[in-house]
Amino acid sequence: MGDVTLEHVTKRYEDVTAVDDMNLAINDGEFICLVGPSGCGKSTTMEMIAGLTMPTEGEVFIGGREVTNLPPKDRGIAMVFQNIALFPHMDVYDNISFGLRLRKYDKEEIDRRVERASDIVQLEGMLDRMPDEMSGGQRQRVAIARAIVRNPEVFLMDEPLANLDAKLRVHMRTELQRLHKELDTTIIYVTHDQAEAMTMSDRIAVIDSGQLQQIDPPLVCYNEPANLFVAGFIGSPSMNFVDGEVTEAGFHGKNVEVDFDPADVGVSPGDDVTLGVRPEDVYTEDEQAGIAHPTKRIEATTDVLEPMGDEIFVYLLLSEDATTSMDDASEGMSDQLLMSVDPDSSITEDQDVSVVLDRAKLHLFDTETGEAIQHGIATTTTTSTDSSTPAESDD
Amino acid sequence: MATENEQQSGIGKQGDADIKRGPLERWVGAAIKNPKRAYRAMFYVATVFFLVTTLFPFYWLLVLALTPNNLISDMGLLPKGFNPEVFITMFERVPFHLYMFNSFVLGLSTTIIVLLLASLAGYVFGRLRFPGRSALMLGILAISYFPPAAFFLPLFELFTGGTDIVLGPVTVSSPDLFNTPAPMVLPFSALFMPLSIFILTTFYGQIPDGLEDAARVEGTTRLGALFRVIIPLSAPGVATAGVLTFISVYNEFFFSFLMNNGEASSWAPIVAGILKYQGQFDTPYNLMAAASIVGVLPVAILVIVAQERIVSGLTAGALKE
Repeated sequence: MGDVTLEHVTKRYEDVTAVDDMNLAINDGEFICLVGPSGCGKSTTMEMIAGLTMPTEGEVFIGGREVTNLPPKDRGIAMVFQNIALFPHMDVYDNISFGLRLRKYDKEEIDRRVERASDIVQLEGMLDRMPDEMSGGQRQRVAIARAIVRNPEVFLMDEPLANLDAKLRVHMRTELQRLHKELDTTIIYVTHDQAEAMTMSDRIAVIDSGQLQQIDPPLVCYNEPANLFVAGFIGSPSMNFVDGEVTEAGFHGKNVEVDFDPADVGVSPGDDVTLGVRPEDVYTEDEQAGIAHPTKRIEATTDVLEPMGDEIFVYLLLSEDATTSMDDASEGMSDQLLMSVDPDSSITEDQDVSVVLDRAKLHLFDTETGEAIQHGIATTTTTSTDSSTPAESDD
Repeated sequence: MATENEQQSGIGKQGDADIKRGPLERWVGAAIKNPKRAYRAMFYVATVFFLVTTLFPFYWLLVLALTPNNLISDMGLLPKGFNPEVFITMFERVPFHLYMFNSFVLGLSTTIIVLLLASLAGYVFGRLRFPGRSALMLGILAISYFPPAAFFLPLFELFTGGTDIVLGPVTVSSPDLFNTPAPMVLPFSALFMPLSIFILTTFYGQIPDGLEDAARVEGTTRLGALFRVIIPLSAPGVATAGVLTFISVYNEFFFSFLMNNGEASSWAPIVAGILKYQGQFDTPYNLMAAASIVGVLPVAILVIVAQERIVSGLTAGALKE
């Protein structure tokens, strides 16, 4: 069985804690992505599952067996590496059969298995090539064949697509999903690319600064991020954040106000909170008919347009003195808002627009701890339609 | 000013036509205009110089070998006479092939020991990070500069049974290893090890971690990964270290001469064989020169063969990093 459990796993280097008290329970047959920015400890976590790195504290279980101190070869795992790591002095057949030969399988069994593995990854007729005679995609297939040929309980993949070009990467993504369906083994996949994680995995484990932030199915991570980090990391372009304060009437930010009853949301007046909203949940006045619970109108000026083909990203400046520098963006983006609009929209640069937010898709976070307080404010207040009407007259 | 410049260039042109120059002046003139010519000339001069200084001794050996011994005096650059039978006579006088065999055995066993131990050391120094690593490396470097002669007396005492070894209540004298390969192979291994450690450390350190990790995940131990992946990929480095060690042992004089009684049956190497020609009443320079040539040949062949091996890099284009 290929279930993997980490219990209180910590890895400390001399002065850095790479992984801090990590608890993970991965089910048999699950495709799970460890995702996070560079240096967040996701690769270290994987190396500890593989046995290439020993945890400072904590225990690792694979298939219900404690493997914390076992060498990699005795853990029933296979791994695909970021740099592919084919043995350059061996041809494809020898590379794929390396592990089998070490385990002294007989010749026919090795031939049969190598043939089956190379069938699965479509490498027919290339078994006598050397790695340096192959393209990046083919090498990656060999690396995958080398991993599946031993029928491991768990696959570990450490950014296996990072060195491939963009088109091939998308192609290999679907191949990996197909492979997972076919083999039905546990796959633990490390990536810094949240798009890869969203598209492939059953569950995403978001890691930052060596700590697990959230482990949930992709859409749950997207729709109900556990904290500010997950909210900002999952989704591209990332969520808009507005810092503000809770008042008796609801949320009060520099340029954005949202009415709600603090008691319903579980905050009290005076609390520092951050409001989060994804670009696609910001609507222009014309489009607002489509949403049930719009907020008050927000006056803004369009800054830069980024046409993507299927949608246009619009950078909105919320006040006169707003600047577009990145420093401001990192400080809660109180002056800026990113909006996604329909490609047919007639919006232009430097245009004054009024926008509304979809109350059902708003997220409220505790500014101090970053923890999510509430996802979707529309459901908690019955007066949302009323509150937007006087808001219009205010302006 | 403009006219002056014109005049100068005009004078220069006329000068080319008027002044009669010798070949050397013409060459210098061309070299000034085209400095590459000068560099090429310097390259040839340097090459010829080094070729002459390295190859002349071999030529001289050949001259001496071919000249009959009684004619060796007031030698010029050419052999006085032609006596190729010397290459047969030398094997009749002294069993030189046995001395060569001894040299090979000493060289090969030292090389194997050195490569094995230096591989382990090279792995540790090249691929692991631990406190005191550079201090230890420095220690090895320092020891490699010790003069071998400094070790000779204590080692001679030890290997000839002159040292008492205390094993708890029992005191035994050290085994008498004089006239066996051991008192030569052991010091050779120790003396030539540092160079190999340095070479292998560099090579093993360059093998990407991913390959070792892959081998370990696939089912080898660390040691298995060293022998199955790291060493094969470092073949040029291992070959270099091996060839250098073998040649050093083959050329070694000090321990080779003193740790045996000079008989072929006592594992004496080539150097003893050559000195063996010296009789009480004559010194057959022609035979000794012939033996020297025969003794040098295997190493010359080894270097030529290994050269290709060293040059051919196995790792080229192996890994996407």
